[in-house]
Amino acid sequence: MTIGAVHIMRASFFSTHHASPGDVLADRERPFTAPAYSLLAGRARRFTSLVTQMHIEVCGALQIDAADPPTAVFATCHGEIQTAEKLLADFRDNAMVSSARFALSVHNSPSGVYSVATGSTAPTTTVTGANALAAGWLEAALTALDTGVPVLLSIADEPVPEIFHGPTTQVGVAAAFLLAPSPASGGRRVELAITGSTDDAVDALRVLARAAEAAQGSGRSGADAGARSIELGLRPATVALGHIRPGAGLELRFAEARA
Amino acid sequence: MTAAHAGHAITGVALANCLGVDNGTVFERAFAGVDSFSPGSAYFDFPFETALGILPSLPPAELDAAPTRLAAVALASVRQLRPTVRAAVDRWGGDRVAYVFASSTGGLEHTERALAPHPRLPATAAYRYADHSIDATSAAIAHDLGVTGITMALSTACSSSFKALASAMRLIDRGLADAVVVGSADSLCRTTVFGFHSLGLTAPTATQPFGRDRCGITLGEGSAYIVIEREVDATRRHAIARVAGIGAASDAFHHTSPHPEGLGGQLCMRQALDRAGMTPNEIDLVSAHGTGTKLNDAAEAAALARVFERRVPLTATKSLTGHTLGSAGLTSLVLAVESLRRQEIPATLRATPVDDALGMAVVDKLTPARLQHVLVNAFGFGGSNASVVVSQPRRP
Repeated sequence: MTIGAVHIMRASFFSTHHASPGDVLADRERPFTAPAYSLLAGRARRFTSLVTQMHIEVCGALQIDAADPPTAVFATCHGEIQTAEKLLADFRDNAMVSSARFALSVHNSPSGVYSVATGSTAPTTTVTGANALAAGWLEAALTALDTGVPVLLSIADEPVPEIFHGPTTQVGVAAAFLLAPSPASGGRRVELAITGSTDDAVDALRVLARAAEAAQGSGRSGADAGARSIELGLRPATVALGHIRPGAGLELRFAEARA
Repeated sequence: MTAAHAGHAITGVALANCLGVDNGTVFERAFAGVDSFSPGSAYFDFPFETALGILPSLPPAELDAAPTRLAAVALASVRQLRPTVRAAVDRWGGDRVAYVFASSTGGLEHTERALAPHPRLPATAAYRYADHSIDATSAAIAHDLGVTGITMALSTACSSSFKALASAMRLIDRGLADAVVVGSADSLCRTTVFGFHSLGLTAPTATQPFGRDRCGITLGEGSAYIVIEREVDATRRHAIARVAGIGAASDAFHHTSPHPEGLGGQLCMRQALDRAGMTPNEIDLVSAHGTGTKLNDAAEAAALARVFERRVPLTATKSLTGHTLGSAGLTSLVLAVESLRRQEIPATLRATPVDDALGMAVVDKLTPARLQHVLVNAFGFGGSNASVVVSQPRRP
């Protein structure tokens, strides 16, 4: 039973070490580049973390109409992990913590900063954990289908500090997508691999790059993107089918699975 | 106006917090109005006065299965739900039962003890980064419960558990699950206590929500779980309540301070009522977010005054449980379900003298009442607000 399809209307991508999604897929790195985060100013710019700045960067790049702000789904595997390291040092060394730092330590700091910066009172949520990348897509798609209007999906993760003994990548990555519910229609259907989790940071980087490139590429040139696929990490009760229509962007089709 | 949802049957609830580690004890002490807070020094030598809601110890046999404090806090509720989840798995199949978990701090307490050890606190035997994550306990709990459907984790500070509930309802509405175990847990940790103190938000003594002399939050630890199922005759027969509607909105004002008029709170309460197909007049009780800070209670009161054109009875359960952060919403919701069952409103402790300037009808003693629908609020950092209408079950 197919339960609905969503269409990617717009996509944006940012990597601290790549100039484009194509560079990620071609393994072409550049020196570290900080996001420009044009939506942030003054104090907000000073106190926000890299992961928040990257979320703001890719959300801002979608140029969403401020008069009609969408519900927003933020997704992150590691959250404000660099802020967590600083807070640990605060009370370990000084028996106190910085109030400004603590205020922006929660996983939904990026969504809060975004809603304040844009004046949007639309609901936001933050999906996290090892399968946040896939669960974020699912949450955003279901929200779009539930509400019948476009939904903003923003995915970002910053490098995990060494002290945590977590993933070792030094690349910060973010991508944002404006998803809309779309009627079922013809076109080439591409099955998405649904395998385990994508908490591996390098895999996640490539998945996001592939998604952004597929959406941007097909929208720009009308090229047949059917050969591309997107891998989503999700536990196996759900099957997602990618549905790519030339010239019309990328669709993700979610269907009920009976394993 | 959004179309009303069909509703979702609540077939099981579980709570654990400073009041107790089983439903019976928690409910008995909550409705008796037993003050269960401890001095902050019972947890750590903080260089300031504060009270805390500390979870009583689990039986040693249960604790052996909990590698972290977060796991122990979660397990205290999860163990109570095993029969209900087993029935749901038998009814629908394990792959049709999902697990959606919420927390604000996840395994941060475990990380603190490993990476910022202190002689006052037990040393960690082993540290893995996976134990830090919000979903650190999810795989083990889902396995323990025999749940093999979709697993998700959410974290939106103090509204976390209601955002998880919204996600769970969507999984059922879109046919991706027939039942969902929705849970939340937050353990005490130094980051939280130092952090709220740094913002001037912790009370030196026990919290007094909506009281004239209120001066801040009492932080607590706890877990709250519910099982929601697709409403069909079989689940209606077992239902103890139903989720009638849920709403969410953002303040778009400030990261830690509420909008003065409670804008996001107004919007999410109205949306929850719309989705329940109800008017404010049909709500018999509001279970407030009620943290006990000057600004938070004033903003919530302003929002309630705009939504309700009468002084609706209001209770603030954080006076009993402390502020359990990501678990706050579901904690209040489970107590609301028990209110519906008992037809009683638990007292808001220490609210007297009530702050008359807020214009709220604060229930300050155990009060019998005819209760059909309760609206529960959960508001958090980032201006993240959510409200839920929980109602008496529909019978087949």
